[in-house]
Amino acid sequence: MDTTRPMDTTRQRALLHDEKHFAHALARAGAGAVIFAFPLLMTMEMWELGFYMDRFRLALFMLITMPVLFGLSYFSGFEETFCWQDDLVDALTAFGVGFLVSAVLLYVFGIIAADQPMTEIVGKIALQSVPASIGAMLARKQLGEGDDPDEEQRKRSSYPGELFLMAAGALFVGFNVAPTEEMVLISYKMTPWHAILLAVLSVALLHVFVYRVGFAGQESRGKATFLHVFMRFTVAGYGIALLVSLYLLWTFERTGGLSMMELVTAMVVLGFPAALGAATARLIV
Amino acid sequence: MVEVNRRDSYEEPREEESASVSWVARIASGIGLVLFLGSVGILGYEGLFRSGGDPVIALSVESVTHDGQRWLARVRAENTGGETGAQVRIAGQLMTGQTVVETAEAEFTYIPAGSTQEGGLFFDRDPKAHELRLRVLGYAKP
Repeated sequence: MDTTRPMDTTRQRALLHDEKHFAHALARAGAGAVIFAFPLLMTMEMWELGFYMDRFRLALFMLITMPVLFGLSYFSGFEETFCWQDDLVDALTAFGVGFLVSAVLLYVFGIIAADQPMTEIVGKIALQSVPASIGAMLARKQLGEGDDPDEEQRKRSSYPGELFLMAAGALFVGFNVAPTEEMVLISYKMTPWHAILLAVLSVALLHVFVYRVGFAGQESRGKATFLHVFMRFTVAGYGIALLVSLYLLWTFERTGGLSMMELVTAMVVLGFPAALGAATARLIV
Repeated sequence: MVEVNRRDSYEEPREEESASVSWVARIASGIGLVLFLGSVGILGYEGLFRSGGDPVIALSVESVTHDGQRWLARVRAENTGGETGAQVRIAGQLMTGQTVVETAEAEFTYIPAGSTQEGGLFFDRDPKAHELRLRVLGYAKP
């Protein structure tokens, strides 16, 4: 892709609105949707949730997806953007790509068929289109070349930006396991001591992954004290991961009928992959 | 959505450029918008008018065939209620007068609200020679 080469801004903007460039970005978005969404497209619980889950919760989930896509487009996205209209165009395009990719694959797998009722078909595709469209949006970072690093760094360095990326990472990684029965099953097998241990482990890994291990995109602590960074990023990040987990469990109707203890344990269980997602958000987003 | 008075502060594009988003991008995002609004609209409509209530499952015999050994009654289950039934168990009884001469059972993993599923019941006797009584035994909430 040409946009990463040094060139004057006018030429970059001309490229953004060029048909060939956009078609190329579109193809990459489709590839991203397939690669990121196929595990969930091949998960039985996702098909079942698609037709039986509460319609309002599914509609709300989709309404929340749109601002997430918009934010991801701002921070990376499948093509470089320069104003919020571009981000809106990209968010809608990513949704369309995710939806169509999900529809085609579900049809090929024989999960949807023309004789099924409309609500069943729409529900199955709509649920899958959430991870597929996020995958389409992430295609640029994962499959293409990166943004202009200076510009990206500037956007990302704001505190709300950091928190948004952590939430998006938690949502994306958490989503990959949240629909499965195992989330609740694991929480049934755990004692409160196991749950506390898992929570401590999640926080420790979140902190270490962000500041210690040396992954690409790792944050440098700079002059800030350990306690400052720990409270400001790690604890905030784990809080976000837990909230995202609770929301996903509620969306997938895994919260109904659970006692408070079981609910908290399930939240901590899903909070583990969500915390890993928050920690590695800089890598995948 | 297209009318813009105030722009975000992170970049200051000139008017003519944002107006020149390529036609491919316009079509692609237009399709995305239609799919998004369409699916949210359908789900919202379903949520308003269809959710709640219980599964209402009606059974009917589609056909009766003989495979050389046993008789197969193909059964169609239609859920006209507002809720999905999971693990729906059905039974078919062959009656002679008020006496049950043979019973067969089947289970549907799911019968989604507003949808139809098909299955079959095997009998040793010819269902056409008897009265075939179909019953829904029960279901679980998914």
